[in-house]
Amino acid sequence: MKIRDRAPSRERCAESGWYACDFLLDGPMDEAFIRRIRGFGGSFLFLSSLRRPFFKLESERYVLKGCLGDPFFRMAADGAHMEELDRLEAYLAPEQDLCSGGTVYRDGENNEKRHAPEA
Amino acid sequence: MIYLNQAATTYPKPQRVQEALAAALRLPPPGQYRGGGGGAPDELFSQCRKNMARILGLYGEPSAETAPEERIFFTSGATDAANRLLYGLFPEKKVCRIVTTATEHNSVLRPLYNLPRFAEGLRIVPCGSSGELVMEALADAVTEGTDAVILNHCSNVTGAVQNLGEAARIAHERGALLLADCSQSAGCMEIDAARADVDALIFTGHKGLFGVQGTGGYYLKRGIPLRPLLYGGTGRNSRQLVYDGDYEYEVGTQNGIGIAALRAGTEFVLEEEPARIAAREREEMEYLSRELQEIPGIAVYGSRALCRGPVLSFNLTDMEAADTAYVLQNGYGIAVRAGLHCAPLIHERIGSGPGGTVRVSISALTERAELDALLAALREIAEARRAAR
Repeated sequence: MKIRDRAPSRERCAESGWYACDFLLDGPMDEAFIRRIRGFGGSFLFLSSLRRPFFKLESERYVLKGCLGDPFFRMAADGAHMEELDRLEAYLAPEQDLCSGGTVYRDGENNEKRHAPEA
Repeated sequence: MIYLNQAATTYPKPQRVQEALAAALRLPPPGQYRGGGGGAPDELFSQCRKNMARILGLYGEPSAETAPEERIFFTSGATDAANRLLYGLFPEKKVCRIVTTATEHNSVLRPLYNLPRFAEGLRIVPCGSSGELVMEALADAVTEGTDAVILNHCSNVTGAVQNLGEAARIAHERGALLLADCSQSAGCMEIDAARADVDALIFTGHKGLFGVQGTGGYYLKRGIPLRPLLYGGTGRNSRQLVYDGDYEYEVGTQNGIGIAALRAGTEFVLEEEPARIAAREREEMEYLSRELQEIPGIAVYGSRALCRGPVLSFNLTDMEAADTAYVLQNGYGIAVRAGLHCAPLIHERIGSGPGGTVRVSISALTERAELDALLAALREIAEARRAAR
């Protein structure tokens, strides 16, 4: 799956104080792609029992969120760490030697150290 | 999509507004006080002004003002109106003493904080946990030297409705003006600006009045001087280049298409009657509030006894407001708004934290089934979040 474009979020106020944008993909996100996102690092939340399962990956510098099956996800970055947007894009690029995000854990497993990307 | 973000902009618009807008595009453009156009442009603007005066309660007793509709001036919205009033009401003062409240929107707060002559003499009156203004606190804050009190009629966060008449009495006893921000209440609740003795009032067209974005305005009581923010062509007295207090406030080509939509929106509101709209919306919001409080893990902000406007804020335990709104939007096709809602000071008072709240807002056209769909979605989300703990 490839990132097709990056668009400013329509809901900037919701991510108050942060710069938010939507990453547009060339297809719907599946679990494997969410696992890749998870490997980017941070505290991970996955609400699998929802009609459209929701994930959120959060660190001090950024928040990523999206719904399984959507062709986009949102990333909000602290204004002082805007480079995280580019870092994520590079990380998700198909030619990158991606580290494995492991499995998408059950709802709410939420441990930043445990799910940090492998070195 | 189920749209429950009516406090931002109402959608859908009544059929007559859609038709009026389309008709305005088909016809030659109306130009206020100007020839060379089509139709009867003066009638369009003046009828819209009269409708607005009825909705704002400007014809009520004990107003001694004749033709109060002539004191309504159209702008591009409430922010534009607020800035024009603040800029022009006290032009000679180096420091203006303004009292306002923690419930205000940034359309009022930002001009006050950023214009030095206001920032220096600004006093913010705190509100209660529902966003209600405690009149004793207002009375303490307003002193003999206060120039004006600016008060949000209906909070765009909790729906708390303030008593304009009591606020005006407090202001007037101390020689201050009362400016009311009716952006969130105009069209969806009864306003009796004449009886309340409000000195100036701002409104926006695209919310409860069912107009389109880019419309709004203000009312200013006759006899209160206002220096214009803008000067320009009006289509009248074109040889006059210098004004001697006889200012004109609607300068440049006016938004005739927007006013056509606003007129149709105000006709809809008057036919439906603001009191009936308010009663129905109150009933719906009380229903929503009751049902939300039955869902474990949801906290609703404010008491519906005080929050009588068509706005309600809540949060899910352990879930950011922005995430709840994201799931509602992308998982269920339900549009609500999350965050601070451009009213940053109220959140500390209601205890909603830095992420703000999830806001649900309805209009006269919202149906019960839409609220039931929201409730069903929230039950699922709350259950999923509980399971994740």
